[in-house]
Amino acid sequence: MTDTSVAGASAGARGAGDALTATGVTVRFGGLIAVRDVSFSIPQGGIVSLIGPNGAGKTTFFNVLTGLYKPHKGRVVLGDTDVTGRSPHTIASMGMARTFQNIRLFGLMTATENVMVAMHSHMRSGLLGTIFRMPGQRHEEHASREFAHELLDFVGIGGTADQYARNLSYGDQRRLEVARALALKPSVLLLDEPTAGMNPQESARFVDFVHRVRDEKQVSVLLIEHDMSVVMRVSERITVLDQGEKIAEGGPDEIRSNPRVVEAYLGRTGTEGSAR
Amino acid sequence: MATTLVESAEDRPARLRRERVEPALGLALLAGLGVWLVVNLLHAPTQFANVALAGLRTGAIYALIALGYTLVYGIIELINFAHGDLFMLGSVFSSIILVNWFGAGTNTALDWAKMIVVLLLVMALCAGINIIVERFAYRRLRRAPKLAPLITAVGVSFIFQWFGQKLNGSAQKNWPKVIPEGGIRFGSIQLDYSTIVVLLVTIPLLLVLTGIVQRTRQGKAMRATAQDQDAARLMGINVDRTIAFTFALGGAMAGAAGLLYLETYGTTRYDAGFQLGLIAFTAAVLGGIGNLTGAVTGGVLIGLIQGFNDGLPYGFGQKWSQSVVFALLILLMVFKPEGILGKPSVEKV
Amino acid sequence: MATELAQGRQPAPNAADLGGHHQRRWVLVFAVLALAVYLFYRFLLPNLPDSTQTTFQGWLPLLSVNEALVWVIAAVGLNIVVGYAGLLDLGFVAFWAIGGYTAGWIMSSFFYQVKNGFSIFSTASGQPGIHLNWWLVLLVAGLFCAFCGIIIGAPTLRLKSDYLALVTLGFGEIIPQVFKNGESVFGFNLTNGVKGIAPLDEITVVPGGKSLGPFDLETKYLLFVGIAAFCVFVSLRIREGRLGRAWLAIREDELAASMMGVPLMRSKLAAYAVGAFMGGLAGVVYAVHVNSVFSDQFSFSISIILLAMVVLGGMGNVWGVIVGALLLAWFNSTGLPQFGDWFNGQFNTEVNFPSYNFLIFGSLLVLMMLFRREGFFPETRTRQVLQEPERTGLESVGADLEGVTS
Repeated sequence: MTDTSVAGASAGARGAGDALTATGVTVRFGGLIAVRDVSFSIPQGGIVSLIGPNGAGKTTFFNVLTGLYKPHKGRVVLGDTDVTGRSPHTIASMGMARTFQNIRLFGLMTATENVMVAMHSHMRSGLLGTIFRMPGQRHEEHASREFAHELLDFVGIGGTADQYARNLSYGDQRRLEVARALALKPSVLLLDEPTAGMNPQESARFVDFVHRVRDEKQVSVLLIEHDMSVVMRVSERITVLDQGEKIAEGGPDEIRSNPRVVEAYLGRTGTEGSAR
Repeated sequence: MATTLVESAEDRPARLRRERVEPALGLALLAGLGVWLVVNLLHAPTQFANVALAGLRTGAIYALIALGYTLVYGIIELINFAHGDLFMLGSVFSSIILVNWFGAGTNTALDWAKMIVVLLLVMALCAGINIIVERFAYRRLRRAPKLAPLITAVGVSFIFQWFGQKLNGSAQKNWPKVIPEGGIRFGSIQLDYSTIVVLLVTIPLLLVLTGIVQRTRQGKAMRATAQDQDAARLMGINVDRTIAFTFALGGAMAGAAGLLYLETYGTTRYDAGFQLGLIAFTAAVLGGIGNLTGAVTGGVLIGLIQGFNDGLPYGFGQKWSQSVVFALLILLMVFKPEGILGKPSVEKV
Repeated sequence: MATELAQGRQPAPNAADLGGHHQRRWVLVFAVLALAVYLFYRFLLPNLPDSTQTTFQGWLPLLSVNEALVWVIAAVGLNIVVGYAGLLDLGFVAFWAIGGYTAGWIMSSFFYQVKNGFSIFSTASGQPGIHLNWWLVLLVAGLFCAFCGIIIGAPTLRLKSDYLALVTLGFGEIIPQVFKNGESVFGFNLTNGVKGIAPLDEITVVPGGKSLGPFDLETKYLLFVGIAAFCVFVSLRIREGRLGRAWLAIREDELAASMMGVPLMRSKLAAYAVGAFMGGLAGVVYAVHVNSVFSDQFSFSISIILLAMVVLGGMGNVWGVIVGALLLAWFNSTGLPQFGDWFNGQFNTEVNFPSYNFLIFGSLLVLMMLFRREGFFPETRTRQVLQEPERTGLESVGADLEGVTS
């Protein structure tokens, strides 16, 4: 297993100040082991990618990080806090945000409202305050709306603020998902196949976009990606999964020339991994 | 799977509560149940036996109704609210056809023959009604959000109740029974003739149903559709017809249960379906919804539990009978929604 | 074609403004209507010719209007649970019952054991029993029901929608049964069983004011309207805030909502509690309206009729729900029987029309689900979105390309 030169991510070791560290994560569905003893970390302010053939366990691993699945073994540490097994909304409010492979926006809500939903955990207004529109609540609503508009501008869809999410174009919907995730003021942003359906120009712009997000919003970014050109251009480090196991980790050049990785993608003559 | 996706990973305190406390509570409940039964058994053994037999009889009827619920839920994940009322219609149809039209109501060979004919007739009738309802009320909503077919089913339930009220009036009606009163005595324990008949009808029906599901092509189609509708369609299975067939089977079971109910209790009520339907559904959940054996097991168990509650000296009494069963339903759904024979499943995202 | 698509897509009018504008219009309409009704019954009707008066007493008696208002209060409550948060509750009648019996307990001479009477601003002070002022009773009943809602909801709200529906149905059955059998709870008469609790104390508009008798329908009408208006107000306000957004998100995509930091259980419980609170209010108001609490007032069909009101009105749209509630309540209590009398009179038939209400309500639910699932007054957002043609992802990408050449 190729070791990485960036923030020692081998099992057990936790680089100082890593934004996210997962150690020895194992996930089982009944008798099927979808993720086997995967350790992984995202360095502070880094942009890393998680790749692997279909069924390698990438999305399952994502789901463990975000709290949707409980790992049978292993730990997930966000910054300094162990978040293993915590509920998704708790982990989200602690600063881990994600987008979805198949866009999951709230279609019947406007772009602004979509973003504001993600601010739920950061707002304080209670029931009484809302009912009687106390000054504190009014102020908070106003500030939240402003912040939502800022985020929409940041991702480049400021003009669609009051359009219903379902009516937006595909590209705009993708950006809205990012804006919504950023509303959580996360320290870690997980992007699940963000360039699916994009043409080459869009993908190129997206690479710049990811850098902008990392630089201006101070988040560490983890992507699952299939588009190799994007992966190679945007990632500072790449981790490769195959059939639930980590088979390689390193910079773009290392991975590109790693024979095991090539073999995993081209497939073997035997059965392919079935877990996802 | 009864619980939402998100429950698969909860906050630690909640998870602790579920993994430690809830099984412990469940065990305590079962233990308490066992103690209660033993106490009653020791206190009044013959009463216990008689009550158990009566419970078995009710349980068999519940099993037939529960099968309808479980069949439909298994194939399209819909709780058919109107199923209990279909059973009620079965009993009402039976009463009208058997007693009013055929004039049967006494223990003669001719009347027994008539009863068998009516049994088949009612089963066909209820099967037909179920097919029609599926075709016109549920089919269009197969891909709609879950709320829609649920509400529709409630509406259909109301329509059935109206129909039952039209045919049977608002009050209970009493009918002469073909099955004679009394039964075979073993000391002071009596095996009612009605119990014998119920079992004689139910057991073969169950065997036939199992045979259909396990061994015929239609049965295979049913099982395939239940697992994955789209894949089944790609395999060339006519999904619409398979679902209709499933509804027909469930309806037939409900019809049979209706006739048996009439012949056991000699009464019909337009609102009998609602109460018994819920109880039968509890039975289906108890046994593991979607599981045929489970439906039968659950039915018998609930019949016994209800019988014990109503008839034993240390029970809550008949007034609380329904509440006991509903409380059981709620406890089941909350603590063990997969039932006795079901397996807890985690849905993959 | 892609350009046409891009051009055809108009930005929706500013959602916030649209909402506000719509809301204000509805508020105005209903306020005017409510006032007009009051003025009509109080001042105009008594001065109209007898035949007109009889017609109105037959087709739209104030008693029927008042009862319809009770249904409005309950329906607005159920709308929060079903319409806003998307939780199918089939046992809402439980809260109606709890509210009613709470009134029976603390606003009557039922608890004669309290020999010297415990009263707060009551019209029946000095008499044995617990006598609280009815405004206080409303508050207590509401809070108690909210509490019960949380107790019921805590273990059950994590269930899938069909299971949740059944569990709530179970509760909707058990609780009225408890009241029916409550004549001897460990020897204590808690609910007087089927005999119920009657009469209740008379209510006043303000504490210490003139008590309202059984014929003070106009004043009661104003009070009922006020309570209904309060419920609508609360409903709208909560909807605008972050909890309302959370409910919308949960209704759309529960999983995504939770991953965006929305606490599912807490939000659902809040919906349930607020809905239950209003159900409790409805229970008290109804008890006052009929001056009694009987266990057979609370049946499963009430939960269903309420559901029909919410569905018919347009799930989530509180104004549509009000219209639906008024219409269905009137239809059920007055419209159908009156129509039946008229029909039978005209055609010399003897059809028992009220017995058709099960058929009508059932068919209504089925037909609505088949043909107009969003209700007759769907929420603005549903309407807006439904106007756009459904576009596939591929089409959208194409549309997007058109603007990329910049």
